[in-house]
Amino acid sequence: MAQTINHNDVVTMIRGAVNIIKDNHEMLSKLDSATGDGDHGTTMLRTMQAVENTLNENPDEALKELLYKIGWAIMSSDGGSTGPLLGSFFMGLSEGLPEATELNGAGLTDTISAGIDKMHKQSRAQIGDKTMMDALLPAQTAMKAAAADIDINVLLDQAAQAAEEGAKATENMTAKFGRARNLGDRVLGHKDPGSVSISLIFRGFHESLEQN
Amino acid sequence: MKMKKFINDPMNLTPELLEGFEIACGDKMAIQSEKLVVRATPKDESKVALVTLGGAGHEPALSGFVGEGLLDVSVVGDIFAAPGPPKVLEALRMMNREAGILFIVLNHAGDVMSANMAMEMAEKEGIKVKMILTHEDIAPGIDTPIEDRRGLVGCVPLYKIAGAAAEAGKSLDEIYEISERFNNNMATLAVAMNSATHPSTGDCLFELPDDEMEIGMGQHGEAGTGPTKILNADDTAKVMADRLAAAIDAKEGDRLMVILNGAGATTLMELFIVLRGVKKFLDTKGIEIVTSRVGEFLTVQEMAGFQMFFAKMDNELLDLWNAPGDSPYMTVR
Repeated sequence: MAQTINHNDVVTMIRGAVNIIKDNHEMLSKLDSATGDGDHGTTMLRTMQAVENTLNENPDEALKELLYKIGWAIMSSDGGSTGPLLGSFFMGLSEGLPEATELNGAGLTDTISAGIDKMHKQSRAQIGDKTMMDALLPAQTAMKAAAADIDINVLLDQAAQAAEEGAKATENMTAKFGRARNLGDRVLGHKDPGSVSISLIFRGFHESLEQN
Repeated sequence: MKMKKFINDPMNLTPELLEGFEIACGDKMAIQSEKLVVRATPKDESKVALVTLGGAGHEPALSGFVGEGLLDVSVVGDIFAAPGPPKVLEALRMMNREAGILFIVLNHAGDVMSANMAMEMAEKEGIKVKMILTHEDIAPGIDTPIEDRRGLVGCVPLYKIAGAAAEAGKSLDEIYEISERFNNNMATLAVAMNSATHPSTGDCLFELPDDEMEIGMGQHGEAGTGPTKILNADDTAKVMADRLAAAIDAKEGDRLMVILNGAGATTLMELFIVLRGVKKFLDTKGIEIVTSRVGEFLTVQEMAGFQMFFAKMDNELLDLWNAPGDSPYMTVR
């Protein structure tokens, strides 16, 4: 049970996301070979290494600055469109983080929601376009619908579930963005790897906090 | 099939290839700040600078065209992946000058996203920069919106033409106008015969049965207009040239630049035979090939196939194309 979390817990959540991507990068690349050029897992691995290095190199940094630094490091990691997208997400987290050192459910929702909004501005994709947004936007909706004083483990579990369902739904979509759009109907039956990465990141947020 | 390539650690491909590139071509280019390929002798600050960006794995593109009379900086990403906005911003800052910067971007999702973010940041800092987006792929059809048309080998002649205009001391607005004129009158169509492996993952980019080819295949194995039975050189040339001529509305008396860009595993022998077929076809229409190049400019690893490029030329474009230039993989004297 956790009604509030502090800044260290947010770092724990981010480390949880790093670890779950590290454990699944080969699966992500396999998914990508069906709809893209097969390197999404490698890109995500490189992205998460940038996150981890930033965390390790800045142990005493205030969370707001740390999140911004993570965003910039991700963008510097040369990840095609993944870099600017996930980089924007972390920069948005930095902008949305409330002043208070303790976050309740509403505060965490505001923070994550700001990250999603910032990334959405870069992506311009909507639900149904077979991109990362298919996992992110349902997660955002789920978080916003929750009560302000919800238990944070429950909140993150609900967000992860919404993201997972969103990623699953991409199986039935044709792509409107990126390399997969050239494949037309040939991508039907395959999940969008970016949306799966997002659902893993939310699951990583949830599990790391629960185990903490 | 297992990947057969002369590589070391697959995570280290880009820095290692750049190191070798500098050993081979250090008289013309240099590497700065790890991922910026710059001219060995910088251009005079009074002249407009040319900057481009793109993933590695397409050698000699894009960095092979950094040099006198061509590009000033190529921002290199990782294999098939765009460089991030911070690196692009660094290049724009490095080239910041009163004359301005022409920023040439190929239409691929990652490149465009990175370029847009870097442009936004650069403009906030007061850097004078104009962007040109190449989008000459006609595989999805010529009526398809620009966002859905990829930038292929057409960036290379555009670097040469814009670079010559910059070297001649023209203003950013003039260079932009010339470049857009060329950009809006060019078209590329690709064809693939055999797949390639992604050098980071070792996986096949796509699969094609032994007796099939695919017209419209992109630079990373993105699908084209669907596989067809293999045609011979003359028929392939005719089918592709017909679509390209229609795309740029080439008519009797028009003068064209024709480039055949080998994808990596198609021989010069084949490309010459195809070019002959292109000429035969254009002759029947009264369209002249006023200049042509055959070779490997922008490759896709060991993919078999090529990109066929047409552009309508006028005297000014031709003069700029033929002006002196000296880069590792394109030299005009």
